[in-house]
Order: sequence, then C-alpha cells, then structure tokens
Amino acid sequence: MSEIVSAIVLSRDFDALLAICLQRFGESARRAGLAARCVVIDNASQTPCPETLPGAPPYRLVRFDRHHGFGTACNHGARRDDGDFLLFLNNDVLLDPDALAAMREEFAARPTLAACGTRMVFPDRTIQHAGVVFGAGDVGPYHIHRKRPASLVPRSERRFQAVTGACLMIRRDVFLGSGGFDERYPFGLEDVDLCLRLGRDVGEIVCNQETESLHFESMTPGRVELDPPSRSFFMSQWKGRYAIDG
Amino acid sequence: MPSTDDLHRVTVIVHARNAAAGLAKLLPTVRWAGAIVVVDMESTDDTADVALAHGAKVVPVELHPRVDAVRNRFLETATTEWILVMDADEYLADDAAELVAGLIAEHGTSRDAFAIPRLNRIGSHVMRGSGWYPDQQIRLFRRGTVRWSDSTHRPPEVLSGRERLLLLKAPGCLHIHHDNYTDLRAFIERQVRYALNDVYDPHSYEPDRYAAAALEAFAGRHDPEADGDLSRALAVIMAWDQVIRGLIHWDQLADKPSLEGYLTLPAIGAVPTPRRSRVGAWLRSLWRRPRRGGGSRMRKGTRS
Repeated sequence: MSEIVSAIVLSRDFDALLAICLQRFGESARRAGLAARCVVIDNASQTPCPETLPGAPPYRLVRFDRHHGFGTACNHGARRDDGDFLLFLNNDVLLDPDALAAMREEFAARPTLAACGTRMVFPDRTIQHAGVVFGAGDVGPYHIHRKRPASLVPRSERRFQAVTGACLMIRRDVFLGSGGFDERYPFGLEDVDLCLRLGRDVGEIVCNQETESLHFESMTPGRVELDPPSRSFFMSQWKGRYAIDG
Repeated sequence: MPSTDDLHRVTVIVHARNAAAGLAKLLPTVRWAGAIVVVDMESTDDTADVALAHGAKVVPVELHPRVDAVRNRFLETATTEWILVMDADEYLADDAAELVAGLIAEHGTSRDAFAIPRLNRIGSHVMRGSGWYPDQQIRLFRRGTVRWSDSTHRPPEVLSGRERLLLLKAPGCLHIHHDNYTDLRAFIERQVRYALNDVYDPHSYEPDRYAAAALEAFAGRHDPEADGDLSRALAVIMAWDQVIRGLIHWDQLADKPSLEGYLTLPAIGAVPTPRRSRVGAWLRSLWRRPRRGGGSRMRKGTRS
C-alpha cells in the first residue's frame, strides 16, 4: 500500500492556475510512488472554486467566505485529511515531475528530518527559493540567492533553519504534534516560525536542491500588503532566538 | 474569534420536500447551530431519515403550494433568540459558524436582522451579476422580528423597522450558497409553478403593470458582461414570467378587460446593456418602476 501525500493548497480566484498546479502535483506524486490526495481551500474567491476542475485530479474542497490567514487556512486543511505526509503547496507552484521523489528520498535518508522544502525558480530561471537564511539586526529571514541565475547557485547546500511554506513537505503527525502554523500571523512568515519551532523541538530542516520547480510567487492580489505586519510580529517572537547565517 | 456560545442561541429552520440529497449537503454545514428543525412537507424520499441522521428535529406538515405562507408558523416554534432560515438546496461555507457568531456578537444589540448575500449556481455557472448577485436574503434574525407574506420569493418584512436590518456587503462576508437549477428547463418549470401557485388580487388588475414589470425584469437581469448568454436567457425568462403572471391574473377575473395591446410589448432589444456606458445606465433606469414606499423591504436596508 502506497504512502499518501496530501497537498494542502490555498486558492483565491485563479482556478485555471490551480488546475495546472494540482495536475503537476499529481504527476510528481505518481513518479514518487506516492498516492496523491488534495485539499483545496478556497480562501474567499469571488466566484467560488468549483468542486471539480477540468484536467485536475479530484480534490476535497473547503470553502471560506471570508479571507483567512495562510496559517489558519492550512491548519484547517491539514485537519481535513489523514495522509502520511502533508505538502503545503502554493497554487502558483508547478512542481518538477521528480520533485516529490527527491523530497521523499530526503525523509528516507534522514530519520531526524522534520520538514523538507524544494528549490524553486521564477519563470526566468532565477532562484525564487533555495532555502531561508537569517541576517543580523532587523534583517531577519530572507530567501538565499533570490533572483540569482539558477545555473550559478550550487546544489550542495541543503540544511537550513527554515524553508518556504510555498512547498513544504512534513509528516502529518509531526505537523499536528507541533501545533501547526501559528494563526496569529496575518499572512507570511508563519512558515519560518513553524520551521524554527520544528528545528528546536523535532529535527532538521532541509531544502532539496536536486530539482527545480516553477514558482510565480505572490500571484494573489493583496498578498504583499500583509507582509509588513507579519514581519513585525515575527520579529517580536523570534528576534535574537535564531542563528545568524554567515 | 467570536464566542461559540452565540451559536447555541441559533435555530436553523429548513423547509424541505423530497430534498434528501440537498439536506445531506446542507445539514453538515449548519451542525454548529443550537438546534436544527426540518419542516418536512410530505416528502416521499429519505428527507426525514437524512434530517434525523444529522441530529435535526423533523416536523411533518401538510404540503403547501407557497412555502413562504407557512414559514411564519414555524418561526414561533423556535426557542432560541436567533433564527437562521435556509432552503434545502442551499448550504453554508466552512467558516460560517465563525461568521454567524461574529455577526451576532458585533451587531446583535443594534440589529434584529441580517440580509445575507447569496451565490446562485445555475448549471455549472455561479452568477456574477444579472440581478442574481449579491441577491441579499433576510435569513438570520431575532425571533419575532421578521414576517413573510403569503407569496413566493418576496422579501420578508422586518417588523422592527429597516434601521434594524443590516445588509451584509459582499464579498468577504457570510454568504448563502445556492444550487439553484441544474439547467434552464428546471428553472422554467419552477417559474411556471411559482406563477401558477401565487396569489392574485381580483380587485387590482393593471395590465400595464405586468408589461412594465416584464421590461423591468429584463432590464434588471440583462447583464451579459457578467454572465454571458446565460444572462440573456434568464432575462427573457424573467420578463416572460411577468407576462404569464399577467395572463394568469386576467384569467381569474370575473370581469375581464380586453387584452388588446397586452402582448404588444415594446422592443426588448432597445433596453441598453448595463455597464456599457453611463448613458446606458441612465437609459436603463428609465425602464424601472419607482419602488413603492413603506415597509422594511430588503433593498432599503442600510449597508454595513
């Protein structure tokens, strides 16, 4: 019996993008030998997400009439499914066909692995995500190598204090045991918060670099405006409690 | 996060007839309520069993051609302070409990009733305009403050006055989700049934009012930019519905005036398409009847 990986995907209005995102997830799970399940959280789309989408694998639909924060919505989705692994996946991430196999392999190779991210690029093949590092003072967390040509960014660096929640794989029992995402964040950095707690209480955080998935980033309107209050809350919780990278 | 104590003060009342499938979708979305009452109108399917399986109290009643006429009777049976009225082909979102509790906590002292936007699905299309959205419905209210009339699909009256009604402003708020019709055939079938079952006053027949209402219906519903050809089709049906009602009314009169000229409707194509221009919007307004004063009709409520 195959292990189950459940994608938890927040969506707001971009049904066509969601369909392709789910399609690519299904394909990547199949190549990894994992049974794919999907929970779509319709986060107050103006036109509600339909119960099925052409070309997309079947999904369980959660509908919110009011827009909820990333953490609240993801926690709700995680409670709706009982797969072995959860994959928090943004609707604007198109997975590399071998991304999930590589991430699953990280868990097989490292018994103490708490969460795994994956290398992602923008459409121009500059780095969107290759791990999260922390700067001194008010700099705080940021994406390492962001906007650098992917061909120039080494694939050897894997261990980080945090990875992005745009594509984050974790065992479901570990996620629920950690208390899930902190719902006090408006929208953003709750993923880094989770990773810091996991790193402190559970085990390692790794960003797999073997594949490159595509991430358009911040496609959803209103997303960017919520960053400053989230960052401010994050710093109030964590400043001085993470290691400064380099 | 509003207190869930407020939700124990809500009774959900659903009128149902042969609605087992609809109830199976609706009832899990209102399980947070203090009580659920399903008023079963002589169903011959598993309506009662489905209701009981979801913890609802089932009240069997005789079938009535106009649901609104019997709604008032069952409002009085609720013992909670608040009532939420749902139809069996409607359901709520996964965050409805939190939103209902929030409305009661925030506005429960200053308001008696809430008009909730409704998302109407026809076939696979969720209506975005055409008079079908936001389609606010007075459904959540304090017991004893709202009364329906003996008709079909007319907004109920808020007895405590329109200033006690809060019209929820879409989007981003509680919505009713409504699987209206699977196709136009079902829509036409139901419109005819409503028209045949409605009550017509034998002392106030005004043929021009039906013709005007037909034009108003078309003008209000014709919104192809929002809903494409479906909007055109529905606008024609709604206009036609008024014409049919006029004939049903006429047919019931003891002393029938001549129908000459009744069907000579002005060219419907002359009604400008909405949003195309400000001039178009102004021209459209000319087709509309002025609304009658008095009462606390839904559209007159204050916005949040």
